[in-house]
Amino acid sequence: MKGIFFAFLGGAFITLQGVANTRISDAIGTWQAASLTQLTGFLAALLVFLIVRDGTWGQFKQVKPLYLAGGALAAIIIFGNVTAIQHVGVTLTIAVLLIAQLLFTFIIDLNGWFGVVKQKVRLPQVIGIMMMVAGVVILKL
Amino acid sequence: MAMGLLFALVAGTLVSVQNVFNSKVNEWAGRWATTTLVLGMGFAASFLMGLLFEGGKLLQPKPMEPWFWFSGLIGVGVVTCLVQGIKLLGPTYAVAVVLTAQLGFALLWDSFGWLGLDRVPFTLQQLVGVLVIVGGIVVFKLGGEHSAEKKMEAFE
Repeated sequence: MKGIFFAFLGGAFITLQGVANTRISDAIGTWQAASLTQLTGFLAALLVFLIVRDGTWGQFKQVKPLYLAGGALAAIIIFGNVTAIQHVGVTLTIAVLLIAQLLFTFIIDLNGWFGVVKQKVRLPQVIGIMMMVAGVVILKL
Repeated sequence: MAMGLLFALVAGTLVSVQNVFNSKVNEWAGRWATTTLVLGMGFAASFLMGLLFEGGKLLQPKPMEPWFWFSGLIGVGVVTCLVQGIKLLGPTYAVAVVLTAQLGFALLWDSFGWLGLDRVPFTLQQLVGVLVIVGGIVVFKLGGEHSAEKKMEAFE
C-alpha cells in the first residue's frame, strides 16, 4: 500500500513538474524556466548528495561520457513538454509523450541499443501500445 | 495541434533515451550522485540553448513569483517517490502506477485549470480515452512480467 502511495505521488509530481514549467515559461520564457528549475533542482539534489554521499568522481569515470551527458537531453525534453502543453493541453501531451516513451524504450530493447539486454517482441506489448494509440484517438475524435 | 503532438513525441522519445543513459550512470554511482549529475547537465544544456537562441536577453530580469524558485524541488520529490515506489513494489508495478497517475493527474489538471492553466472542459469521451490508455499501460507493463523485472531503468 505504501509502495502504491509513493508511486502514485511520483506520477503526480511528474505531471506537476510539466505544468509548473509551463506556467513559469509563460511568465519568464521557456529556456529561462528550464534553466531555473534545473538549477534549483540541481542545488537541492546536491544538498541531499552531500548528506548521503552515495557516489564519488571515480565512479563517474567508469561510465561512458555519452551516458554521463544524458541529463543534457532534459533541455529539449522540457522545451518539448512545455510547448506541447501550451498547444494541446496537459492530457493529450502526457498521453502522446508516454506512448513515444514506451514505444522507443521497446525499440531500444528489441535492438539491444546502448548495451541493453536484447529482448524479443511480446504480444502484450504490441497490444498495449495499440490500446494506448486507440485511447489518444478517442481523446481527439 | 500537429506542432504540439510533434513536440510531445520528441520529448517522449528523448525521455526513454535519457532513462537508459541515467540507469547506466546509476549502475556505477548512487541515486543522489546520479540525480545531481543529471540535473547539473540539464541546467548547463538549457542555459546554453537559451544563450544560443536568445543571447543576452536570457538574463534580463523578469517578473518572478516566489514559488518559481522552488519548482526544482519537485524533481527531488519525483526521485524520492520513484525510488521508494520501486523498492516496495518492484519496477513493473511501480512504473505502471506512475504512468497511470501521470495521466490521471493530467486529466484533472486540464479539467480544473489549476495554477492558472487554460481549462480544457472535462468530457466523458476524455475519460474513456484516458481509461483505454491506462488499460494499454497495464497490458504493456504487466502482460509479460517475467522479462520486465530485469531493470529499474524504466523510470529513473
